[in-house]
Amino acid sequence: MTALLRYHAELLLRSQRWLPPAILYAAFLAVGVQGGQPVLDSLGYTAAGLLPVAAWLVRICVTGEPPAARACAAAPRGPARAHLACLLTALLAAALLGTAATVVLTLISDPASNGDRVPVPRPAAGAAGLSAVLVCALLGAAVGALTHWPLLRGAGRAVPAMLLGALLATVVAGSPARAAVSGLVTGSQSGRVPVPLLPLAGAALLTAAAFAVACALTARRTP
Amino acid sequence: MLQKNEPMHRHLRLTAVGRRYGVRGPWVLRGVDLAIVPGTLTRIEGANGTGKSTLLRLLARLDAPTEGRITGRPRTAYVPERFPSALPFTAAGYLTRLGTVHGLSRASAARAAGVWLERFGAAGYAGTPMARLSKGGSQKVAVAQALLADPELLVLDEAWTGLDAAARAELERAVAERTAAGGAVVFVDHDPRRLAGAPDATYIVVDGGLERRTAVDAPAAGACAVVVARGPAGARLPAEAARLAVSAEETAHGGHRLTVPAARSDVLLRTLLTARPPWHVVSVAPAPPSIPETRP
Repeated sequence: MTALLRYHAELLLRSQRWLPPAILYAAFLAVGVQGGQPVLDSLGYTAAGLLPVAAWLVRICVTGEPPAARACAAAPRGPARAHLACLLTALLAAALLGTAATVVLTLISDPASNGDRVPVPRPAAGAAGLSAVLVCALLGAAVGALTHWPLLRGAGRAVPAMLLGALLATVVAGSPARAAVSGLVTGSQSGRVPVPLLPLAGAALLTAAAFAVACALTARRTP
Repeated sequence: MLQKNEPMHRHLRLTAVGRRYGVRGPWVLRGVDLAIVPGTLTRIEGANGTGKSTLLRLLARLDAPTEGRITGRPRTAYVPERFPSALPFTAAGYLTRLGTVHGLSRASAARAAGVWLERFGAAGYAGTPMARLSKGGSQKVAVAQALLADPELLVLDEAWTGLDAAARAELERAVAERTAAGGAVVFVDHDPRRLAGAPDATYIVVDGGLERRTAVDAPAAGACAVVVARGPAGARLPAEAARLAVSAEETAHGGHRLTVPAARSDVLLRTLLTARPPWHVVSVAPAPPSIPETRP
């Protein structure tokens, strides 16, 4: 499994196809947040923006390997494990990107609630931001896993499904991502740092289920 | 042929296996029963589009059967029909990474990558990016990838296509080595002379079903070699050597005349020379076309 993860990570890094989503995410943050703004508000924005980026990274990882090369890498350990390694690589990349953004924004933002009324400690805000970012990375990866091979084939169907899925995962009531992000935004109004453990658990469960479905179907669909 | 000391996971068995793509798609294969035993070479034949590749994907456990059952999971390597070179690695870099996926350590994967590129005459492109390889060059990489880690099951889907003559012969030798070492090899190739005389079993895919070809393969003239060897006084022919040869007869003075498919001759010589105690090889010659090719 470690060898498969390394193989997929190197495939992602060397292909340089990770650059467009990373740059777009950086641009989104540069436009939306600035130093000196309330920390929890900025972190909520950071987390929400990561969800489509995570889905896009899954798309890059899944479509980056030609089917024949995928068969060669899948033969020793089975196609389900090979696909799991591919999905986990995308999830790790998204989590890494989100963590870097969270650390930077925690340091440059104003450690206070909206209107500078209540002080918000940076370490607690950072921890809340990290778990919100993780929730969004998990859900984005789940959306990506469910909208690409082996479930959907061809960019014509996969891309609209992925974008719609990412939008729904962000806004639908009851979505862990929406809960985590709105927890940060309302926390920024009251000055109370949220502890989004429930959304994190929900996102982990949903993503595990999505990955399990995708991996179980690898041997059943046309390559 | 089932040996007691073989772990059962190495015995691949298909029972009443059927495969179709999509819920209402036509059946590509149906009612297939097939056992792949360690140490054997199996050839699959059939016209284009009859489902040979699907059968190979099922054997490699890349596809799950729609109905029926597959048991056994040998450590498998697979060579696809067409290998794309659109990967952001050099030839040696890709092989090293695939070697670790096959379970080798990074150092031994790098070593094996060098050895196999050399054997296929591709050592010159070790540092070449995959995207710049020719069709033949990337096929050599695809074949080397499968041989890196001595797989228990080697599945070759028209692996010879695109290789130059020297690499084709080297792949035939590698297949003989693999079966001699106890691995199973299954292959599809459009050339009927490919490994002629060597397969332990030949199957034909007809109308989605699998039929065993009963007629004994008559190897093309010149495809065999005759090895005359003499063992220590009173020694019996090593069992491994007897299995590799298509016919073995005793000559005077404790000598043995062994007829062997050309692709297996190197492995037979190695078996004889490294036997304990070692055998003396008296002569090696191409078999005259008149030698009757009957299997013991």
